[in-house]
Amino acid sequence: MIEPERLVHLVDDDAAIRRSVGFMLKTSGHRVESYESGTELLKASNRLDDGCILLDIRMPGLDGLEVQQALQDKGVSLPVIIMTGHGDVSLAVMAMKAGAVDFIEKPFEKETLLGSLEEGYRRLTHKEVTSDRIRDATVRLQALTAREREVLDGLAQGLPNKTIAYDLGISPRTVEIHRANVMNKLAVRSLSEALRIAFAASEQ
Amino acid sequence: MKDALDRGAMGVSAREDHLRSILATVPDAMVLIDDHGAILSFSAAAEKMFGFAEDEVLGENVSMLMPSPDRERHDGYLKDYRDTGVRKIIGIGRVTTARHRDGNTFPIELSVGEAWVEGRRVFTGFIHDLTERREADIRLRHLQAELAHVGRLSEMGTLASSLAHELNQPLTAITSYCQGAADLLDGEQDAQRLEMARQAMRETMEQAIRAGQIVKRMREFLRSGETERSVEQLSRLVTEANALALVGTREHGIDVQVNLDPSCNHVFVDRIQIQQVLFNLIRNAIEAMLDCPIRSLLISSKSAQDGFAMVSIEDSGSGISDNVADQLFQPFVTTKGTGMGIGLSICRTIIEAHGGRIWFEPGSEGGTIFRFTLPKAEVVDDRA
Repeated sequence: MIEPERLVHLVDDDAAIRRSVGFMLKTSGHRVESYESGTELLKASNRLDDGCILLDIRMPGLDGLEVQQALQDKGVSLPVIIMTGHGDVSLAVMAMKAGAVDFIEKPFEKETLLGSLEEGYRRLTHKEVTSDRIRDATVRLQALTAREREVLDGLAQGLPNKTIAYDLGISPRTVEIHRANVMNKLAVRSLSEALRIAFAASEQ
Repeated sequence: MKDALDRGAMGVSAREDHLRSILATVPDAMVLIDDHGAILSFSAAAEKMFGFAEDEVLGENVSMLMPSPDRERHDGYLKDYRDTGVRKIIGIGRVTTARHRDGNTFPIELSVGEAWVEGRRVFTGFIHDLTERREADIRLRHLQAELAHVGRLSEMGTLASSLAHELNQPLTAITSYCQGAADLLDGEQDAQRLEMARQAMRETMEQAIRAGQIVKRMREFLRSGETERSVEQLSRLVTEANALALVGTREHGIDVQVNLDPSCNHVFVDRIQIQQVLFNLIRNAIEAMLDCPIRSLLISSKSAQDGFAMVSIEDSGSGISDNVADQLFQPFVTTKGTGMGIGLSICRTIIEAHGGRIWFEPGSEGGTIFRFTLPKAEVVDDRA
């Protein structure tokens, strides 16, 4: 285990989050740079050439989506992982469509965060080998029925279950069942993993 | 009596019927006497209040309705007034006691007026039962508590999402500190790592307390009390909300006029919520007028399209400036020095939940008119 320390840029307006998440990441072998706002992060953008960005979506001033956009405008292509509160899922899906690697809901377990960071680092080092991912995603999506695919597409648009149910003319309960089947068939545990497959396939 | 009232275009009996119909609807008891104390008329409310039928008391001395010592002295009071013309109660009013048929006495507020009818002097006594008023005060206080509760609930609804977010912050910090500390304790336990773990535990505690304070704040908003919709009389909603909203404003001399259209009196609403809306709008209107020389408030209603009733609350204040006008119903927008700026957003939430609409427009005199619509109720049994 003599891996080089991996770098995380942690952006949250809440000092307790910066301290505690920073502490946890350090004890699990990461190097952490903390920023108390999107503006602070953007000020340092010329030094952002390594690591993953762990970005809170709800902040005063620039919110997570705006920071993401500003980073892209400045040509910063570090992987972004979004931290959300409960009920911000549609925002988080927008962030993923805009290129975020993943979103994790607060409060999160260490494994969840480390898993997302792992995916981020993988993208950092293997930017070019995306065709495998696209092919893999396409194959996995073929296991879904047409209705399940429609439900997944709705989720990928950031729509709540109720809206998907209304659009498809089925009950929200049925949407939940389809949703659970989608997760099973894709062998994923979280919505964000399922969305990542959906977004990857759509890059084809 | 008949002769005394036989004036004008109406015939004797028509005149008397007219008078009787007025007497029957006066909520306070009304007793008419001649200048020697003989009862000339005794209203329906008086019959109820004292336990006597009108024909039992007509011509009797009004002192029978009083406990001692007034009972014995009343004739003397009348004589003094006839002799001196010095008013001790007429036009002044006083709180005193009255005597029921069963001998019980009860507190009343008595107002006496004097009139000359066909050369005869008559006195009219209006009697308000204060035992009932005391009960009404209690009802008023209950109502106020209910309204305050609904206000809190509505605020809660608006704030729920930001509070949930707030709660996630300490929970995230707690999770992270504990995971980090557990990692430290799993590895080699040198003094430095133990101290770091200890520090993480201390900060975990602080964050748990922070979470607890947020929960406590939420709980203070939420108290028991379910609400539901039913057929309600707009006139009652307005009267009650208005009474609450005017509490403590007497010194400001606000002229309140209520002009409700009886054809849309029945509405299908959640009583407490709509009273909250009326209360908020009336309070806002009053506050908007405090710095103005003319303070008049008009509450009116009329039928609107599609089975809705429209309620309007117009103040004579200085109007609403353009820069806040288009976001006035948004939460946390306020024009007041103090206040959270959630009153109008609550109003909008409530009205829209009833399928109605709320908006405002400039008033004719430079003030503001807030209007909202409510679903009318189809009343089959239309006795009210």
